[in-house]
Amino acid sequence: MKPIRIESLLAGGLNVGTWLASSVIAAGLVLSLFYQQTPFPSGAQVVTTGIGLFVLLPIVRVILMLIFFAKERDYKFTAAAAVVLLTIFASFAIGILAK
Amino acid sequence: MNNGTELWLFAVSLGASALGGMLGMASGIFIVPVLTLWGHVDIRSAIGASIVSVIACSCGSAAPFLKSRLTNVRLAILLETATTAGALSGVLLAGTIPASYLFFIFGMILLISAQQMLAKRRDPALASIQSLTRRSTTWQLDSSYPDRALGRDVAYRVQRLPMGMGLMYVAGLISALLGIGSGVLKVPAMDTALRLPIKVSSATSNFMISVTAAASAGAYFVRGDIVAPVAGPVALGSVVGAILGARLLMSISNERVRLLFVVVLVALAVQMFVAAFGKDLFRGIA
Repeated sequence: MKPIRIESLLAGGLNVGTWLASSVIAAGLVLSLFYQQTPFPSGAQVVTTGIGLFVLLPIVRVILMLIFFAKERDYKFTAAAAVVLLTIFASFAIGILAK
Repeated sequence: MNNGTELWLFAVSLGASALGGMLGMASGIFIVPVLTLWGHVDIRSAIGASIVSVIACSCGSAAPFLKSRLTNVRLAILLETATTAGALSGVLLAGTIPASYLFFIFGMILLISAQQMLAKRRDPALASIQSLTRRSTTWQLDSSYPDRALGRDVAYRVQRLPMGMGLMYVAGLISALLGIGSGVLKVPAMDTALRLPIKVSSATSNFMISVTAAASAGAYFVRGDIVAPVAGPVALGSVVGAILGARLLMSISNERVRLLFVVVLVALAVQMFVAAFGKDLFRGIA
């Protein structure tokens, strides 16, 4: 039996994430197109949620890779994924502090 | 924001992302100028929308590349340590360098890349097949991909990794400073330093772009620079366009991708120089 390839894992994850985020954005846009007097939650809020999902998606992808490499006991690449993750978080923190 | 504007944003993003996906780069470099010059969107909203579109493009087009084994995921995560470190430096540097300097630097980098692409018309990976018996790195990055046009698997080696890492750091830095995906810098870096087959470069670059962009997108999102009525249609159009572009990349030959890449690089360089010098020009008139 062939072990699950990391390529299929990531392809599946990114596909699901893209569909989810896109659907949320599309739903928000439809809401804002058809309701001038926006009900709660407003179309713009729904769109913003979808955008937030898109921003999170690459981070989830790196976490998936980290877990995969750790399970494979491929420690060099686990370390690489951890460094990428920490760098992204550091960058976020600087962005928030510079606000 | 009326319905017509939303549709226009959607259509423009679709076109830009189809072209971007075909070349293994995100649409950021097209989206920002189109939104600001034609759409009269303010530059901060345009950059915010562009960053989201860059992530959407990269994530939306990744699956077919991954499934056809064009993407080298191990190489990607290794190079991402350099691109995100570059992005981190870019976030720290942001605001200290005048925009016109940045446009000029970017224009120069584009021209150099175009020149390199023209000079090496042969696929770099084909030249290295003879030496495949020797393993050069301890990272086990060498791989192979199925080439539809050639009808067989093409094995390739990853060469000059330290140089590739250095170029990736610069790509990440420029990406964070200009708010673009920087695939346009990553692909030539992989082509000339790592000597990968161009389709592997495009696919791996496309895969890496979302992570590089996420490093700066989070900050934009928290700061409120991402305006939903602009970024929403742009992101949606980008996903559709990126999927179309990815389909096209796999069905056309390496040589055509390369030629198209050179044309777009030169066109963008001209656009960047106009942005660099045009700003001072307008200031002089005003």
